[in-house]
Amino acid sequence: MSLGDLLRTSLRGVSANKLRAVLTMLGIIIGVASVIAMLALGNGARAAVESRFRFLGANQVQISTQMAFDDDELVTAGKELTYEDGLLMPEEVELVDRIDMSISADAKARFGRATLGIRISGVTASAVETIISAGEVQPVNRPDGEVLTLDDYLADGRFFTFNEVLEQGPVCVLGSQTATDLFGGDNPIGQTIWVNRNRCEVIGVLSELEFIDESRRYQGNPNENLFMPISTVIQMFYEEEPSVMITAFVSDESRMDEAKDQIKSYLRARHDIQPDANGEYEDDFNLTTRKDILGAQQEAANTFSLLLAAMAIVSLIVGGIGIMNVMLVSVTERTREVGVRLAVGARSRDIILQFLLEAMLISIGGGVLGVAVGILSIPLAASLNSGIALLEPGSIPLALIVSIVVGILFGIYPALRAARLDPIEALRYE
Amino acid sequence: MNGMSRVVIQTAGLRREYAMGGAVVHALRGVDLTVQAGEFLALMGSSGSGKSTLLNMIGLLDRPTAGRYRLEDVEVFSLSRDDLATIRGRRIGFVFQNFNLLPRYSTWENVALPLTYRGGEYRSEEQYKKAMQMLRRVGLGPRAVHQPMELSGGERQRVAIARALVTEPAVLLADEPTGNLDSATGKEIMSLLSEIHAEGKTIIMVTHDMSIARYASRVCTMRDGMLTEGEPAYVAG
Repeated sequence: MSLGDLLRTSLRGVSANKLRAVLTMLGIIIGVASVIAMLALGNGARAAVESRFRFLGANQVQISTQMAFDDDELVTAGKELTYEDGLLMPEEVELVDRIDMSISADAKARFGRATLGIRISGVTASAVETIISAGEVQPVNRPDGEVLTLDDYLADGRFFTFNEVLEQGPVCVLGSQTATDLFGGDNPIGQTIWVNRNRCEVIGVLSELEFIDESRRYQGNPNENLFMPISTVIQMFYEEEPSVMITAFVSDESRMDEAKDQIKSYLRARHDIQPDANGEYEDDFNLTTRKDILGAQQEAANTFSLLLAAMAIVSLIVGGIGIMNVMLVSVTERTREVGVRLAVGARSRDIILQFLLEAMLISIGGGVLGVAVGILSIPLAASLNSGIALLEPGSIPLALIVSIVVGILFGIYPALRAARLDPIEALRYE
Repeated sequence: MNGMSRVVIQTAGLRREYAMGGAVVHALRGVDLTVQAGEFLALMGSSGSGKSTLLNMIGLLDRPTAGRYRLEDVEVFSLSRDDLATIRGRRIGFVFQNFNLLPRYSTWENVALPLTYRGGEYRSEEQYKKAMQMLRRVGLGPRAVHQPMELSGGERQRVAIARALVTEPAVLLADEPTGNLDSATGKEIMSLLSEIHAEGKTIIMVTHDMSIARYASRVCTMRDGMLTEGEPAYVAG
């Protein structure tokens, strides 16, 4: 039989009983949709981890205060993580060569007659390095690819020193827009401005910066800034010592576990945490690395994927058995038809191919509908997996191949049975 | 008969035995039959005489337990199941008592069915052309797109005859072709078969009805698995 004749014959066989065909497809539809959703979760998890890596480099440890529930209220588990914990860390911890932390406060800045409502950033002496390593902004009119130095980010003056941070120095560095707003065209370096009721000396002005990724430019002007030592901001604006989040930069990426242990010992000593009877520490801080996020994310995705994989396998097997069942019924119903076909010259392979192709049409139909259902179910899968699911393009051909294989696997036995019918008995069948 | 005697079918010592419920049934006990091209042979006999078994054997739907069978120039029983199917599709046309048309297939599609098993020899427009030619030959051209359900019994059998002839077979095998028809319609079908015979087609027909057998040019009778020339004794006498 030519392929065209064969396809026409099988299509007719399937379409003779459309409702039955669609119902038979259900198992395949669910199975294939599960495959699509499963791979979307894996893909989404990977994408999510990748996007988080932008904020947490491989050599970074994020340190935060451990929170705990006390009568339904979220409170700190022990001592707060203070800026001093962070400030002294590079000195005290061998593998940490730099830390980054910040705190902010809303304030009014005034110089002469110019008054400005502004968000103050309390940072460390290495804040500019942090800006550079985050790689989100760059000085305007600088070609891409050129290695930028600290000086490229400073238009005038200097940034504050470690000692100024330690001693709560009344100094500040202005973003270029803020400098213009307060001083017009005048040179701000060495001038004293008022931040609320505190005097503060301007020691530097940043270069005009722009976002590297143009899609982020809606996020406001990166030049409206007023940087002060974190200690100064805390002293000026906070009545109690606030919790800070510290990012530690480890000098050797291959020794992250060692670095974490060093940071733990350092903080345990500072927070006076003693081991309990079993030698376990009940830390009041949390350390997070890229590896931790990756692990947690993958674990969540893996658990869910495993569930979907099990569902996919079960549905595909059940769907396949459904196809086999329907095809066996169909072969029996059409015994006479097979007899006629054999009588007019059909060979075994013509009959096998006809019924096998019918089974495959059902399974491929289920596969196509399953892909559609799978794509539509991705938002649902995402809502069950903290919003992370992304269609994996390769999953569509995979799903179709799987449905073809199911059709062949479960269609071959009924097809062989049809082909082995005795023509005389088949022609007599009532 | 046209006098050019060419042998289409020649069997020698055909035997067929079935095991049925422990007992051995001898359906054919050594049948020697020679059919010349252009003959219209009626095979008569009571039910269980073996006439249908012989027809199935001639039609390559069944194989003998022993014996030889030449169809035209081919010793057919040495062939595989698939090779037999191929020969059936090319050299033999079947007409059944119960028509055996495919439901949900239109008249012309039923007629074209054997052409689809010719390994792509006929493209679909050629299949249609050939089927229409045959339908017109049996007087059913206007019924080409009807389905079997919409046809009368006589029309259905005409479609079946068109299907049997569409491959231009060496022999047309008819098993009680009028068995499901009333006598008036049966006569129409028989005169159609007579016309086809008159055009030179070789026909072998199984029947138990003497009035039907009279359309044939030659009558043979099966009895207890044996073939004898001539009409059954009880009718002839």
